Amino acid sequence: MRAVSPAGRLIRGMFWRQRRDTVLCAAFWSLHQVCEALVPVAIGLVIDQAVGTGSTTAMLWSVLGIFGLFTALTMGWRSGFWFLSRAMVEESHALRMRVVRRVVAGQGIRTRRQSGELLSIATSDTEASAELLELGSRVVSALLGLTVATVVLLRIDWSLGLGLVVGIPVLVLGLNALGPLVGRHTAAQQQAIGRAAATAADLLHGLRPLRGFGGVDEAARRYRSASRTSLRANIGAVKAGAVFVGASTFTTGLLITVVAALAGWFALQGRITFGELITIVGLAAFITDPVLNLADCVFKLATARASAARVAEVLDAPERVSSGTRTAQPGTLVLDDVHAPGLDGVSLAVEPGELLGVVTGETATADAVTDLLTGARPPERGEVTLAGTPVRDLDIASLRRVVLVEPHAVDLFGSSIREALHTGTDHDEATVDRALAAASASDLRTDGGKGLDRELLDHGLNLSGGQRQRLALARALLADRPVTVLRDPTTAVDAVTEHAIADGVRAYRDGQATVLVTTSAPLLDRCDRVVFVHGGRVAAVGRHRDLLAQPPYAEVVLR
Amino acid sequence: MTGPVPTILPVATGRVTAAVFWRALRRHPVLAWTSVATATAASGAAVVVPILLGRLVDLVVAGGTVRSLLLISAWILAAGLVAAVLTGVSRWLVTEWGTRACADLREQVLDHALRMDPARLEAVGSGDVASRVTEDVEQVTDSVQLAAGVFTSLVTVVITFAGFATLDWRIAAAFLVVFPVYVLSLRRFVPRAARLYAAERQAAAVRTQSLLTTFTGARTVHAYGMQEPQGRRVEEASRGAVVARLRAVRGFLWFANMMNYAEAIGLTAVLLTGFLLVRGEVSTVGDVTAAALLFHRLFGPLGMLLISFNDVQSAGAALARLVGIAGLDVPAARVVDPAGSRAPAGVVASSVSHRYPDGPTVLHDVSIEIAPGESLAIVGESGAGKTTLAAILGGVFPATGGKVWLGDLPIDDLHPDELRRLVGVVTQEVHVFAGTLADDLRLAAPHADDAQLHAALALVGADTWVAALPDGLQTVVGDGEHHLTPSQAQQVALARIALLDPPIVVLDEATAEAGSAGARQLELASAALVRGRTAIVVAHRLTQAQACDRIAVMAHGRIVELGSPEELVAAGGTYATLWSAWHR
Repeated sequence: MRAVSPAGRLIRGMFWRQRRDTVLCAAFWSLHQVCEALVPVAIGLVIDQAVGTGSTTAMLWSVLGIFGLFTALTMGWRSGFWFLSRAMVEESHALRMRVVRRVVAGQGIRTRRQSGELLSIATSDTEASAELLELGSRVVSALLGLTVATVVLLRIDWSLGLGLVVGIPVLVLGLNALGPLVGRHTAAQQQAIGRAAATAADLLHGLRPLRGFGGVDEAARRYRSASRTSLRANIGAVKAGAVFVGASTFTTGLLITVVAALAGWFALQGRITFGELITIVGLAAFITDPVLNLADCVFKLATARASAARVAEVLDAPERVSSGTRTAQPGTLVLDDVHAPGLDGVSLAVEPGELLGVVTGETATADAVTDLLTGARPPERGEVTLAGTPVRDLDIASLRRVVLVEPHAVDLFGSSIREALHTGTDHDEATVDRALAAASASDLRTDGGKGLDRELLDHGLNLSGGQRQRLALARALLADRPVTVLRDPTTAVDAVTEHAIADGVRAYRDGQATVLVTTSAPLLDRCDRVVFVHGGRVAAVGRHRDLLAQPPYAEVVLR
Repeated sequence: MTGPVPTILPVATGRVTAAVFWRALRRHPVLAWTSVATATAASGAAVVVPILLGRLVDLVVAGGTVRSLLLISAWILAAGLVAAVLTGVSRWLVTEWGTRACADLREQVLDHALRMDPARLEAVGSGDVASRVTEDVEQVTDSVQLAAGVFTSLVTVVITFAGFATLDWRIAAAFLVVFPVYVLSLRRFVPRAARLYAAERQAAAVRTQSLLTTFTGARTVHAYGMQEPQGRRVEEASRGAVVARLRAVRGFLWFANMMNYAEAIGLTAVLLTGFLLVRGEVSTVGDVTAAALLFHRLFGPLGMLLISFNDVQSAGAALARLVGIAGLDVPAARVVDPAGSRAPAGVVASSVSHRYPDGPTVLHDVSIEIAPGESLAIVGESGAGKTTLAAILGGVFPATGGKVWLGDLPIDDLHPDELRRLVGVVTQEVHVFAGTLADDLRLAAPHADDAQLHAALALVGADTWVAALPDGLQTVVGDGEHHLTPSQAQQVALARIALLDPPIVVLDEATAEAGSAGARQLELASAALVRGRTAIVVAHRLTQAQACDRIAVMAHGRIVELGSPEELVAAGGTYATLWSAWHR
């Protein structure tokens, strides 16, 4: 059996999930197409039977018939459109949520895509993928409309019908040959638009710094140049599209002419009646729509598939670190002779209940220790264990409930202080107050007069750097994990507050394991034990005050 | 995100949107005229086809010859060919016209977004702006392709109407009954649609905001294992967009229904009139056939207009959001004498106070004078107003009360370009702009050569690691590319100011994001930048404050102590407490 590509699997899944609405849409649109096909037939009938004969009764029936036909026609189209819209909107929502869940789940995925690109995959591409549902329904209904037209023609004259049976596929396939030309330009266009949008987003994201150094003019100039590049790609796609439209208009025109001329000839010979001639001429005009429709679907298929492939790529991206199956239990967290960039055989243990300081002058070392403790990356050599079990064997979700590493770069979520502090479990006001107080962040609650409902802008941009850092610390404390790792939690606060936080953390975390990766003397001074990692190895272990006697240690922590 | 997104950014009214877009379209007169001309000609050629088909029927009814049948078939084919060529060309011209207008507009929008009144920008944050210059721009650009179809359809409809003039005038008159139906439906639908689609765009913007926050904060979500609650937040926003979208679709379907019935009424009227005329022997069956076919011919373009109405409304709502920004008043770019004042200048603040919209007052009556060449450190508890004061002194946004002078010029009278020549600000937010490192630096000084870039990097102590980068200055940095550590990113921020070389610098928490490991190095870098300039330094690390000429201690939005480091330590006040805490 041929292996199905990820995009193919995604597309199958889409149709399977939305099978009910897609089938309903295809059915109603087919009804609509049949009605559309019958409009010229009806016109022919009315002219033959009523206008030609002058019979009032026939004319009355004709009027009733036309309204009946239009009622069915509009009902078919509307219902189809409704079911399709629902299927597409629901499916793009479902795909979007799968992308989001995939990115935020576990340790996240290994991808080179920036968050701006992920955003466009989660919005534009999920919507473009869902358009495949529309294409499916349109193809089905167009084919049915063509079948009806062909059947009507076959009944009037078999040779004309047969001509259509052969002619239409040849025509659609011929137009298809233009597909690659158009597809190439469309892909270039999409890429250029995406790049211009990414430039805009990047510049806006850095707008505060940009204004600070007066780079606005240059930034505007850069966007203009990205936008012009995008414009050139756009116009390339426009020209390719125009060629396609011209070609399809001409070939369908050719088809109409041939059918009409043949029908006229047959009528002159008396093989068919005038009414039949009118019907055929009308049908010839009608079939342009489904034929152009088919060609357009084929044309759009490539674009939609490319979007589906991008969505599938994110959904199928490998986990950054694979999750084990064993449930994590609280206990001693041990680095056993680990090697990683910045670590050259380091062993240390975080005992339950202790406040442990880890000091290093090297950023790479600090990064490695934090990442290893949280299982975000495996060691090159050596082992990281929690309560005796290797961390890589542990189920990520359960590990997260035992060990928390608050990243140094603060990300805040939600639109109020309360929401920003919420990480999964509800807490009563008193507990929240206690955590805020321990992080010296009670002012966030008292300022502004709205308490915990004080409004937060995106990323907490309306807070100062120190406020954001203290809020993130309060959030980490409130999460109340058996092991909490804090990385430089006081770099944006003043010295007095730093002391208050050191006392607050010490008291709040009493009886639970806490690791402080920092060089802040006030924090280290409260630690039960300090591990000094120097040159990738553990250089000393002891109390902060005792270690100060060692010059390399003193040089790192004294300021 | 569940809360309401602040929507202080304006959304243009329908009339303004149309006027602005019309102006953008008029900027390309050649494309405009050729587009209109070819689209008209293409539709004209297309209308000839059913008229000739009617003639073909007439010819057959009249028992014409095979020769004349072939002749008229040849005419039909020729008309079809001309129509095809013209349709292709007009599609190209119309789309290019719209695409160019869109490009002009999106550039204007970003330009205005970048130059927007800083107070407003601070109040709304960049989320709403970002969603407009990305998603809404994309929506409008995408729909231009559609707009070409819409335009051609419109012209076809108009020409087809004109085609009715070639028929019996009574049949043409009968057709006019569709107009009341159109007018009534549009009058009821358009205002409602505007509301529905604006709501739909707004919901989409909220969703974008929520997705972006989640993706950029993915690390934190992982750390807490909070994919469930965060997923729910996004789900709520995305669900809101789903509901808004379907609500808009439902409104649209009512309209579509009315349009179909208008078609039915029109067709019946034409056939009924034809029936009466033929019975009264004032018209021929061929004429009625041509009229019916011509009318049937309208279904295609009308259907096209109908189907695209949905997207056009949506694009219109997006366009209104763009025009809302493009319509903001912004200071125009102005040519400033590049050799202009780099003379040393002092900074004077007089009774400056500030409050953020809907927020508490964060600065009260702050007055301070900083002499040319003097360095002032601002210290104090977090939330004391240090950043706000620094931003106001650096002209990042204006104070709500009081006055600031840079040199002898009031800061409010300075054009943004002149302002940046006088004062460079390193903000709390650090951003590495996507592109090469050289491009990033040249944002501050577009004409700097590589030697100048290297000199600036050397000044802030970044020369060693830059030399070690895979492609040196040409290394691509920024989101998703070569990762710079927080302290490297800070050094780049400082290097940009060094390139700018202003007489006054404002450094806000330049060491905060680096983590303590890199802080020492950054202190040296900012000290190098401060040397020989008037400087305002927001200092968390007191060693940094200690190196300044004077220190201002802030608490609750006021300066509570001011003096040289030695004086303040000796005075035994707040600073002395901080200093001893720092040393403990």
